[in-house]
Amino acid sequence: MKIEGDYLFNGPRDEVWEMVRDPNVLATCLPGTQSLTKISDTEYEGAIGIRIGPVNGTFAGKLTVSDEVPPEHCTLTVEGKGAAGFAKGVGHVNLSESEGGKTLLKYTGELNIGGKLAGVGQRLIDSVGKSMIRKGFESLDKTLAERIAAKAKG
Amino acid sequence: MSKKYLGQRLTRNEDPRLLTGQALFVDDIELPGMLHAAFLRSDYAHARINSIDVSAARERPGVIAVFTAQDLGDVWQPGPLLVPPPTVIPGVVFNKRTQVPMARDKVRHQGEALVVVIAENRYIAEDALPDIVVDMDPLDAVVDIERALDPDAPLVHEDLGTNLASHVKQENGDYAAAKEMADVVISARLYIDRGIAGALENRGYVASWDSKEQRLTLWATTQAPIPLRNGLARILGLSENQVRVIAPFVGGGFGPKIMMYQPEEILLTWASMKLGKPIKWIEDRQENFLATTQERSQVHYAEIALTKEGHILGVKDVFVHDTGAYNSYALTIPLNTQTHTMGPYRVPNFYSEFRVSFTNRILTSPVRGAGRTYGVFVMERLLDMAAKKLGMDPSEIRRRNYIQPDEFPYRTGIIGQDFAKNILDSGNYPATMEKAKELIGYDQFLKEEQPRLRAEGKLVGIGITSFTEGSGVGPYEGARVTVEASGKVSVATGVGTQGQGHFTSFAQVVAEQIGVDPKDIFVVTGDTDQFHWGAGTFASRGATVAGSAINAAAANVRAKILQNASKVLEVPEEEIELVEGMAREIKVPENKVSLAELAVRANPMRGAVEPGAEPGLESTAYYGPPYGATGAGTMSMIVEIDPETWMVKINRAVMAHDCGTVLNQMIVDGQIHGGFELGVGNSFFEKLHFDENGQLMNATLTDYLIPRATDLPRIEIGHLVTPSPLNPLGIKGVGEAGAIPTPSCFVQAVENALAQYNLTILEAPLSPNRLYELVKEAESA
Repeated sequence: MKIEGDYLFNGPRDEVWEMVRDPNVLATCLPGTQSLTKISDTEYEGAIGIRIGPVNGTFAGKLTVSDEVPPEHCTLTVEGKGAAGFAKGVGHVNLSESEGGKTLLKYTGELNIGGKLAGVGQRLIDSVGKSMIRKGFESLDKTLAERIAAKAKG
Repeated sequence: MSKKYLGQRLTRNEDPRLLTGQALFVDDIELPGMLHAAFLRSDYAHARINSIDVSAARERPGVIAVFTAQDLGDVWQPGPLLVPPPTVIPGVVFNKRTQVPMARDKVRHQGEALVVVIAENRYIAEDALPDIVVDMDPLDAVVDIERALDPDAPLVHEDLGTNLASHVKQENGDYAAAKEMADVVISARLYIDRGIAGALENRGYVASWDSKEQRLTLWATTQAPIPLRNGLARILGLSENQVRVIAPFVGGGFGPKIMMYQPEEILLTWASMKLGKPIKWIEDRQENFLATTQERSQVHYAEIALTKEGHILGVKDVFVHDTGAYNSYALTIPLNTQTHTMGPYRVPNFYSEFRVSFTNRILTSPVRGAGRTYGVFVMERLLDMAAKKLGMDPSEIRRRNYIQPDEFPYRTGIIGQDFAKNILDSGNYPATMEKAKELIGYDQFLKEEQPRLRAEGKLVGIGITSFTEGSGVGPYEGARVTVEASGKVSVATGVGTQGQGHFTSFAQVVAEQIGVDPKDIFVVTGDTDQFHWGAGTFASRGATVAGSAINAAAANVRAKILQNASKVLEVPEEEIELVEGMAREIKVPENKVSLAELAVRANPMRGAVEPGAEPGLESTAYYGPPYGATGAGTMSMIVEIDPETWMVKINRAVMAHDCGTVLNQMIVDGQIHGGFELGVGNSFFEKLHFDENGQLMNATLTDYLIPRATDLPRIEIGHLVTPSPLNPLGIKGVGEAGAIPTPSCFVQAVENALAQYNLTILEAPLSPNRLYELVKEAESA
């Protein structure tokens, strides 16, 4: 399944990049994330709770960052599995500077799902996935505003 | 003999029990101390198994045992072939890779069993599944059936070095020469996709090993209790007499329940013996989508050569068939496709070649229609394209090519699923076309109704297609008929029953012979302790093969009755008739004796029976046909398409059908209704969506659409009777007839309704979405 989209952040690119690469920020902003632990500079382990229609469960897995060109580009690979199935996704994230000190995040990727998640959840995964991503970005944008405000205060 | 009971529209003996919830199904079995099983199934379609850790599951309170392939020891081995390969066809390639009880080193399809958990109840067993840790490395999967045959495709069975499961070529005449002489040659690539059988009742088993009796009883939703018993005895190292398989009422078979030595059957019986406890497992709907066999996926490259008058000179069809991850059921489906491509038509030169590919999907088995539907689809589409090219009406091009009533028996020269060179025994194919046209008002629709409705802006169209149904194949069935001391009659036969009305139609056969009310005839099917010779319920053979065996046994009992009655009544046998449970002198009806009294006399408690006489009014008989009887028919339907939603509504459907002698017209009607419903599903609603990794994306009945009652018209049926010369009753099968012509008839009607777009539809099933795409493609072309 192809995924793609974009989001306009209210802040400079460096700030957005820093935040995206901070596991603590991601753990609090990605909906359903139960834990996210840094294993190395480019690898994280964690667990995420997902509910898609009648399918719900915890997916444990790994997040790997590669092809990193700060603060412009990186590739994220997510692999997770649980009792309700498995998911593997590869996403390419691009950050570009936009008017008025804003940052445009564009992502494209491929998501493969399996097990009950696919067989039962397929019909809903598109809308649930989009809503999770949107909520995640909105939450990140809020954190971004807080971080900028905190820095401004010094 | 006048037909007092045969052919009557008798209400079914079994219905009061079925309709009031009194009938026994597998899930009704409750035994003291019974345990319950749940299976951990693979989420991946293709993966290497590194390790399976079941230690946490074993410790969960209420869990009795957890088994993986490693625990099975010598019982773990690829299962037996269910059907042998057709070695009678010269040059046949068959690479045997049969289903295994549980995946051991790698999984080959999503849903393949990895672990079985036995617990005090199903809740605990299911709760224990997430306790199990399976370490697997996913492998690239192969799903596309043509891609599977590429040299660089991922291999389902590495040791084989190819995904080619089979290769079969058959030819009658000389197609290449026929093509040289043709005025018109049309070729096309046709695609037919996978579907489920979708029985109301999923699979289910209760296995019970009695260690004191040293006997295993298995209640099973099987279509083949006797072969299942024999095979399980062999696998488990038991005598056949130590195994009893009971197929009670089963809520629909439709093909997949003919599969034997399935993982669940082996694991549950083995575990019951190991634990000394009864174990129940009832498949849930999700598992049914992943672990019950499905049917087909075929890609055809077909060609037809004709004269300008529309006479067929030859047909060539080269196709690929999908067997899934294993080929336990060998080649029945593609052979059925091959033998049914010619259908009811004279095809003097026929070339058919198929390859079967292994893919990372659940294995395929027959599903109602069992490959016939797709041979018919190919031929009917070719004829439609030819008719269009020649400017001929679809019914006319068919009329010009039917095998005529005086040409039977007609040899097609092609070997079928019963390994015999196909012979069409009898029929009147042009009559089915005439009858169907008359029932639907074909000419009147085209001349008056359609122009009027089109003028109103309606997209309405008509389709008309013909088919044959090879049925009632061997090897044989048997039956025992007994007149009991009460005067009631019992009949035991080996076939199982899944709703076909056997308790009524079989009773009618016996009633006709011995003059007992069908309500007083008690039929037992599918219990290996009651009758233990036979093959099973498949290939529309119950009525033809088991029915003929019952008829033979009942005829023997009739002879015994007459012999005994002649002595009691002191008149010759020819002067006695059997009526209402009595044997009586035709001329002097007061001179009579009841069958009850004759039954007691034939089984005396003292004295001696005459030398050579068998006790009781009982007989066991068998029937094996030399080759299958072939039914036929023509279907016609009128559809209307909503140009906004592209939903297709079937406004009317008719079927002119010939299955030889009809045992019970209501039951035959019911078979056609049910088959039609499945055929409509195969035409428009039902399609399994697999992604490129072999993941089934619509494994629920919310996403996989089965036609509802509101999607179907009431099908009108015209009965034609050309008795088969192959059996004394003249019966031909009818179980699959309703399904076979439906997709071809449906797409022809849709094309006709959308004549303005000049579509050529080369696939089934369609959907509103797909229809929209096809129209857009046609518009932009």
